[in-house]
Parts: sequence; structure tokens; C-alpha cells
Amino acid sequence: MSVRRVIGGGSPQGEALAAALAERGVFGRVEARGPLAIIVTDAAGAEQLGDAELRRAALAIAREQGFSHLAVELGAPAAGDASLPGG
Amino acid sequence: MQHDTTTSPESATDRELALADWLRARGRVAVGYSGGVDSAYLAVLARRTLGAGATLAIIGRSPSYPAEQWATARRVAEQFDVEVLELDTDELNDPRYAANPNNRCYFCKTELWGRVIPAAEARGFSTVADGTNADDLGDYRPGAQAAREHRVASPLALFGFTKADIRARSRALGLPTWQQPSSPCLSSRLPYGTSVTPARLQQVERAEAALRGLGIAGDLRVRYHDDLARVELSHEILHEWLRPARTRELCRALREAGFARVALDLRGFRSGSLNVLHGVAGAA
Repeated sequence: MSVRRVIGGGSPQGEALAAALAERGVFGRVEARGPLAIIVTDAAGAEQLGDAELRRAALAIAREQGFSHLAVELGAPAAGDASLPGG
Repeated sequence: MQHDTTTSPESATDRELALADWLRARGRVAVGYSGGVDSAYLAVLARRTLGAGATLAIIGRSPSYPAEQWATARRVAEQFDVEVLELDTDELNDPRYAANPNNRCYFCKTELWGRVIPAAEARGFSTVADGTNADDLGDYRPGAQAAREHRVASPLALFGFTKADIRARSRALGLPTWQQPSSPCLSSRLPYGTSVTPARLQQVERAEAALRGLGIAGDLRVRYHDDLARVELSHEILHEWLRPARTRELCRALREAGFARVALDLRGFRSGSLNVLHGVAGAA
């Protein structure tokens, strides 16, 4: 998979969600804005969320962590700022 | 209104017959008209039932009323020979509305009905009706309180019309609105507590128009989160707009509309999304 392994880089809630999503194969930084969580990832990371099953799983994880809304940032210029090797 | 005194007829056709009887009993009916699915159906049915001169569709115009909706309202009225009265409303200059509390709609509708009712009465219309339907009754709708306070009738809700009923009967009557997406006011794109300004409403309107220009049909909302646009699309087309080529188109369109950042909501469109975000009671 070409998705860079990017986790953390935000609030504790965002980091916890980012870690939980990474376990499911969704890598990215998570920005928490109250009950809204925004996954900041690269183009490949966004594209993989086109898979309905993965999307449902990500939404369920976000709900478990107290977020009512989950979105993925598109064309995020800073997606790679906190990238880690791998993937 | 007498929502609790009428037993809902069984079918949409029966409901329409009951509604026509209700309209005839009133003789002359003014409809608070936006050109949306519900008020368009009610206005056209009233016109067909009561004839010319006995139906008046009243539009309240303000910066929160989408221009596209206004155009639809005028087009439908012209097509079905419904007389229209257009009034300007000024809710944005009410600080209680502009502060965008979770009962914002109450102040908007208070302003709307405060202008519509006298205008209707001055033209000999003692009955003013709105397009509230039976599905709406379960939602969080503080605007309904303003309607009650102004004694606005909601005959679609009264006779148990669901949104699906209204779409079905609209289709049967030849209304182009039968498959039109729901289109609440532009202020509904701003989270509660984010002040409502003409500039923000225009930005959201530009953004949604730009996305329509990309060929996105059906349900669509651009939710305003300061620098970020959170786009809600129908669940069925989400995957398409996560592909890099389409993502680039989406981002370009929304940046041109004034948003620095763009995000796609992974659940997709949901009516009252910002009510859910704020934990408002009654939200879906």
C-alpha cells in the first residue's frame, strides 16, 4: 500500500483516534474539532476510504471514541508533515 | 392548527382528497412558499383546487434564501399559474438570529410570519399555511413554534403527508420539484454559535453552486467550519469523489469559493447534521 504511516500530531483525542484508525489500516493525523474529527492524510489515504466497508469501520471507531462526525481532508498540503517511515 | 383532531387518511391519494376538502373549506389560502418540495406541492394543489385569485404564494427573500431556490420558486409558480407575492425579510439584522443559537429558526420564522401574515390579511387571505409535513414533526424545528404563535396552518402535517407522499403526489401532478433535493436555508450550513453573516452565506452558496457545476446532483451540503468546508454528499457517490482526479476538482472549486481547506464527510449527507454535531435534542 502506498499510504504513508502518519499518526498523531494533534490533541490527545485526535491522537487516540489516529492510533485506533491506524490499527485498521487508516493512516493519518487526526485533527479534533469538538465532536468533529478530520483525518489529514495523503491522496492515497483518502482514496482508500472510498471502500465502503473501511469507511463504515472508520466511522464506528470514531463513534466509539466520542466523535459524531468523521471527515477526511482532501488535497491536504500538510498531510506528510508528520509522516513516519513505512507503509 | 389542529394536528391532533384529524385521523390521517390511508393513502397519499386519500390524503390529497382530504387536503383539497380542507382547502375548499377555507376558500382563500396563502402559502408561505419557498419553491421547495413541500410548499410547491401545497401551493400548486391550492391553485388547482381553489382557482385563480384564491391562492397566493408568498416568498420571503433574504440572504439566507438560496438564489437557486428562488429561481425554482418563480419557475414553478409561473408554470402552474400560481400568483406570487415576494417580501424581503430582515432576520440577519436581528442579533438574536445572527448570533446563531440553536433556536435560530425561531427568530427567522418570527420575522417571516410577522411580515407574511399582515401582507396576506391585507389581500383578503385569513388562512396562511406552510409546507410542514408529518416527517418534520419528529425533527428539532424551533421554527414551528413561531408558526404556531402566528396561527399558521400546516395542512400537510395535519393530514399525515410524509415527504415520500408529497414527492409521489408532486410527480403525479407534474411538478418538477418531485425529485428535488431538500433545500433548507443557507444558515443551516453554519454550526450553532458561528455568527450568520451575508458574506458567509454567500460563500456557502458559491461553494454549493460550484459543486453542482461539477455535476453533483442529489443531496449536497457544504458545511462551514471557518477555514474548512466539510462536504456532505450522498453515500452512494462518496467513493467517486475520493478518487484523486475528482478530489482535485472538488478542492479547486471550493478554494475558488473561498475555503482554504476541504474535507469530505465520511458518513455522507445527513439532514440536520449540525444538530447532531451539537447534540441538539430531536436530531437524527
